[in-house]
Amino acid sequence: MRRISMALGMTAVVLSAQAPPPYTRTLETYTVPDLVLVNQDGAKVKLKGLLDSGEPIILDFIFGTCTTICPVLSAGYANLQAKLPPGGPKIHLVSISIDPENDTPKVMRDYLKRYRAKPGWDFFTGRREDIDKVMNAFNAYIPNKMSHYPLTLIRDPKTGKWIRIFGLMSSSEFMAECKKAGLL
Amino acid sequence: MSSRPEPGAFRRLLAPLLGVLLLATPALAQVKPAPAAAELTSEQKLVLGERMYRQGILPSGEPMSSIVSGDVQVAGTSFSCVSCHLRGGLGSWEGGIVTLPTNAARLSIPRYWKFPNLSLEERKELKLQNPPARPAYTDATLAHLIRTGRDPGGTDMHPVMPRYYLSDPDMAILLHYLANLSARHSPGVIGDTLHFATVITPEVSVDDQQAMLVPINNYVKRHNQFSAGFGNRMYLGVGGNEMSGAYRKMALSVWRLQGAPDTWGRQLEAFLAKDPVFAMLGGISYGDWKPVHDFCERSQLPCLFPITDLPAVSDTDWYTQYFSKGYYQEGQAAARYLNGLDNPAAARKVLQLVQDTPQGRALAQGFREAWAELGQPPIKELPLPREGALDASGLAAILDQEKPSTVLLWTGDSIYPALDALLRKGPTPVNGFLSARLLGAQVTSLPEQVRAHVWITYPYREPHLEPKFSAYADTLLAGLTKRHPETRVSTRTYAMVQVLRQALMDMDRHFYRDNLLDRIGMQRDQILPDYLRLSFGPGQRYASKGCYIMQVGPGATPVLVRKSEWVIH
Repeated sequence: MRRISMALGMTAVVLSAQAPPPYTRTLETYTVPDLVLVNQDGAKVKLKGLLDSGEPIILDFIFGTCTTICPVLSAGYANLQAKLPPGGPKIHLVSISIDPENDTPKVMRDYLKRYRAKPGWDFFTGRREDIDKVMNAFNAYIPNKMSHYPLTLIRDPKTGKWIRIFGLMSSSEFMAECKKAGLL
Repeated sequence: MSSRPEPGAFRRLLAPLLGVLLLATPALAQVKPAPAAAELTSEQKLVLGERMYRQGILPSGEPMSSIVSGDVQVAGTSFSCVSCHLRGGLGSWEGGIVTLPTNAARLSIPRYWKFPNLSLEERKELKLQNPPARPAYTDATLAHLIRTGRDPGGTDMHPVMPRYYLSDPDMAILLHYLANLSARHSPGVIGDTLHFATVITPEVSVDDQQAMLVPINNYVKRHNQFSAGFGNRMYLGVGGNEMSGAYRKMALSVWRLQGAPDTWGRQLEAFLAKDPVFAMLGGISYGDWKPVHDFCERSQLPCLFPITDLPAVSDTDWYTQYFSKGYYQEGQAAARYLNGLDNPAAARKVLQLVQDTPQGRALAQGFREAWAELGQPPIKELPLPREGALDASGLAAILDQEKPSTVLLWTGDSIYPALDALLRKGPTPVNGFLSARLLGAQVTSLPEQVRAHVWITYPYREPHLEPKFSAYADTLLAGLTKRHPETRVSTRTYAMVQVLRQALMDMDRHFYRDNLLDRIGMQRDQILPDYLRLSFGPGQRYASKGCYIMQVGPGATPVLVRKSEWVIH
């Protein structure tokens, strides 16, 4: 019976996967938890200081061996970096691992290299408890990394509010959202 | 479900593709053109096609170029077909997005929305009339799908599927690879039975052999009894037929190795030639697992969770799924813990004293490599004399000469009488590190006077929490007369069975060895006996990735006291 319900569930997802809804956009207020994460160079970084610094920030949740969503989100980051004019506004791209057991600094460095990430895109990992706190703080908690969803959070540098984008954006839509948020 | 293309959709797709092509032109101009597909042998095309599928590299050596999400340009080196369709080609289900199979067996038949796993013969027998969502692919329609995202049934794939720009010769190579990807069931699928084997190396005690064989055999027996229920009404409908069609009985062979490890590879090849199996389940050895590991790589034979503390450590090997990196991982944890301490004095100068055994060498290698990865300078390593030969004065002499702040003592409890030397060094005692796994049952016999200065790597769940998890293994231990829970052989075997059980369900009727490993890679984290957490992911081959650092508590009957979080970084 479990198998039947799984099959039906999968069918439903296939159907929805063929005709994806446009992404949704909401404005949210989040409290960044006061904890320390580790970046791809092994450096400890205070998350609150990083995200509340006032600099333009975009945040997503990914993991190094993700099959489908993270590669697309990361390709979006790479494209955004490629399109930012030299000497223009700097946007700090932040990716936070949801697979902290596997995503060591070395794994994260290799991942960024695969996407030809430029300076300004950092990948963070940490203790599982801390990662859970970060996911909860951004209303992004998932108990199982395989069931995560595409989420991009853009911090409005003027108001400190977060633009929550649920779904996958095209490159032009991503640029438009950054402009709308005053990042470009 | 299906939709026709919007006017101008192809033009909009083409524009960014042309952009990619123009960007790539200068580089392409310098590359010697690859031979035309027609000039290549089938084997050459398979090699080149596999590189396209797995690494996103064109036959020319350039990355494949694609577009996702409408206009997001992607180089094949970032991600490629294998990222979502996985190595066996049966696809994935992640984040609410289903990636459909792209293996030969599925591409060559129509796809149906309802009951997609039924064979065409079964559909006919069951008199199913519903039309397919798409017909079987031809080379032309598959090429069209890969370039545009539209299947021959008129359905547009999700925008996350890359739309690839591929020349006709490159496309022909990729199609040749797909036409051979998981085209036929792997060896070991014989009639209605999946054949498995397990391996026992010569030095393993009878009790430990039984501790592994009893739970596996109990599981196989239980699994094989399941088919008795297929006459029930719930299996007579279409869904029931689809479900029961994925079921195969199991058979288990026990391959007992003899002689020296350098002969094991040949012995295993002879076993496999005589008795083709689908995968190896468990297996047990007290020594280095590498000869068996290498055999599995050569034979492309999955091996699930062998009972070994000396696995082969590799970032790229594919066929053996381990519980952990064993002793190597404890060494890694010591390095990470020491590096993360707020007290930098402890890491001022580190010395490794290494017993010349596979266990000692693995611990030292794990520490050395993790320490280097953390950006720390190389440390000195000295061999320990034979067991029991180092007394307090001998250790004191080494400490006097080397003046370490922390000494890693990768040896057994024979070092205990020498540990007083840790206390003699000036105002601050030297910190020591020992391995709980290497100390075994003697871990809590650590001399009381040094307990505050000795850290112990401990790769399992905290002892006081373990019984309620290990108790689950009892469900498979009927008939096991001698129980030795301290070896964790039965509990680890139980854990292997749980992962296997789920993987067999997820594999459905797609009996390909790579698919078995793909399904394990897609499993959610498991909380099972012994290890705090087993986590998975495509290509992740060491399911438990952390370790605790403990100290021995005070008193005549001490307990281990946790001094760290689960050390993973």
